[in-house]
Amino acid sequence: MTLVLIAMIGALLIPMIEALQDEDIWQRMLAFASIATKTSVMILVIAVLQDDWMIGVVGVIILSVGNAALMLLAQIIKRVNDVMDR
Amino acid sequence: MINLLSYTCIVIGLVFWYWGTWPLLGRRSVLYKLHGLSVADTLGSMAIVVGLLLRIPQEWPLLVLALISLAIWNTVLGYVLAYCSTEDSSYDG
Repeated sequence: MTLVLIAMIGALLIPMIEALQDEDIWQRMLAFASIATKTSVMILVIAVLQDDWMIGVVGVIILSVGNAALMLLAQIIKRVNDVMDR
Repeated sequence: MINLLSYTCIVIGLVFWYWGTWPLLGRRSVLYKLHGLSVADTLGSMAIVVGLLLRIPQEWPLLVLALISLAIWNTVLGYVLAYCSTEDSSYDG
């Protein structure tokens, strides 16, 4: 299970590099959405590894409400871009 | 046996993750990356959670909630990101 966790950290590094190197805001948003999903699944794996379901509850809460913030942020960025272009 | 099955699910999920995340580093369009990423992230994460579910079946309500929110949220977020990132779209869509 520790090996699984190490492989997950490796997968998590790819969107992090992308978020750092790309200037385009939508590519960054995409990388952030990927990071959010991957970290919450990692929290679930750690919960199973530690056999501690308080951590698991946190992971499930992040999965079920966390993406809403990204959706709202995407709408705000779009509106601000439209206003700036006008 | 169950252990083996659970590991198989988790490894399949990891393969999906790498396969879908790798194109992020390339120079393709946002929509191309979004498609690969949403398919691979959703299916991969769901496979990993199913692997965990096989491991600890007594915590099924939480893990099923995780599965459902993955399936719904990632699809909706993919749609919203695609809508927001394209130019010249009207507000009533």
